[in-house]
Amino acid sequence: MPRGGDPTILAMGGGGFTMEPDNPALDDYLLSLVAAPEPRVLFLPTASGDPTAQIAAFYGRYSRCAAATHLSLFRRHGSARSLADIVLEQDAIYVGGGSMRNLLAIWAAHGLDELLVEAWRRGIVLAGPSAGAMCWFEAGVTRSGGPPEVIAGLGLLRGSFSVHADGEPERLPVWLAAVRDGRIPGGWAADDGVALLFSGRRMGRVVSSRPGAAALRADAVAGDLVRHRIEPELLGAAEDALGARAAPDDVRELRELRRAMRRG
Amino acid sequence: MSQTRPPQIVAFGGGGFSMEAGNPLLDDYVLSLAGRERPRVCFVPTASGDADHYIVRFYRTFAARCDATHISLFRRDRSAGSVDGDLEAHLLAQDVVYVGGGSVVSLLGAWRAHGLDRVLKAAWRRGVVLCGLSAGSLCWFSEAVTAFHGPPTVVRGLGLLPFSNCVHYDGEPARRAEYRRFVGDGVRPGFAAEDGAALHFVGRELRRVVSSRPRARAYRVEPAGGEVVETPLATSFLGQTQLAAA
Repeated sequence: MPRGGDPTILAMGGGGFTMEPDNPALDDYLLSLVAAPEPRVLFLPTASGDPTAQIAAFYGRYSRCAAATHLSLFRRHGSARSLADIVLEQDAIYVGGGSMRNLLAIWAAHGLDELLVEAWRRGIVLAGPSAGAMCWFEAGVTRSGGPPEVIAGLGLLRGSFSVHADGEPERLPVWLAAVRDGRIPGGWAADDGVALLFSGRRMGRVVSSRPGAAALRADAVAGDLVRHRIEPELLGAAEDALGARAAPDDVRELRELRRAMRRG
Repeated sequence: MSQTRPPQIVAFGGGGFSMEAGNPLLDDYVLSLAGRERPRVCFVPTASGDADHYIVRFYRTFAARCDATHISLFRRDRSAGSVDGDLEAHLLAQDVVYVGGGSVVSLLGAWRAHGLDRVLKAAWRRGVVLCGLSAGSLCWFSEAVTAFHGPPTVVRGLGLLPFSNCVHYDGEPARRAEYRRFVGDGVRPGFAAEDGAALHFVGRELRRVVSSRPRARAYRVEPAGGEVVETPLATSFLGQTQLAAA
């Protein structure tokens, strides 16, 4: 999706370069949503406090096929450019996982929450796993304080989102109970490797980097939980057959060329 | 912990273990205020995003002679050696709380989200010595000059000390001019400290200025007669005076 297109969010239950060092499927899928030949991708590692290892993993995955940069809110970036200039020139913004409570509080302190809403409106693709996914919804389930608890998000997307449904199973009952009790709106839970693609506020597609992983939709109806499993489309070998919005051939070729030039 | 200790803050313009390897003077000074042979010292590295290397350096410096602990606000789901459970009880039981440098804006945002602003205020009232450098100095004041992203701006701190504060006063020439301009434009009067200089407050009164470097200085910056006046403060060098002459 080029800038200027529909607001787009790719919300991952887990996975991507931080969790799947040998499986680029979700990262490739994110890049396929951006039409620019060399997409500008900004990494926001705020939720984990900008750890070096996570930043290095981002560059390891993205610098070969994108103009990759990161924005630290803890270390000086040595630039006098405003946050608005940095954020709004991107094609995609990748938000890393970590503490959702810290993420939202620190974004608000820097005014970055409002900039990201503007970025979304302008069609800059927003993506991320875990805290970097839940933050876009009305509510999520965080372990920022230790045990899982419900937390409010930015509310760009309607409903709630719970992550690591298979990898951290202690979150799911907290989420389901909160949905059933009406403390948070119904929504989705996603396994590690599963991502939901939203165009505007509409959930359009569910994809997965791993076979067997799934998403779950849950709603409270008259005090009872109604839930159903959503089978994702498996990314990778079967992707073309499933009609993925893959990058056009010429764009792929250019990315390969740049990749080769960087290696040289 | 004695209930009779007064509130104390030692605000470094820069320095201590994270900036002055091999020069323990400012850290020693803070420990001397604890009134205990083996003080309980808790490190709060929030402003750095709980950077691992920073935490390791803290323990290297303090673990041998203190009961050293740290608090992480980013890894509470997997404690990784940090204090988990009741942060409030832990902080209130300390002799010294040592706040590391980094971004004061991120620091304050995260503290407020976890209620640490309230807890640290209570700790201060109980006589837990609060100290820190850079962001760990700025946070205690009502207004703080930060230049983390883009040009210098003024942010609201916790307000335990009803002044403004500017750190690294010697490090960046632009800061000096900006701070004076801010004070001229209505930011409350305050204190600027160079790297190696520390402002020691008892209650809300400046008790003493100490330094780990012979030439490090601190200043009172305030409007007077239509302009902003910068007054150097008497500073006690904590090292050997022979070194100062050398």
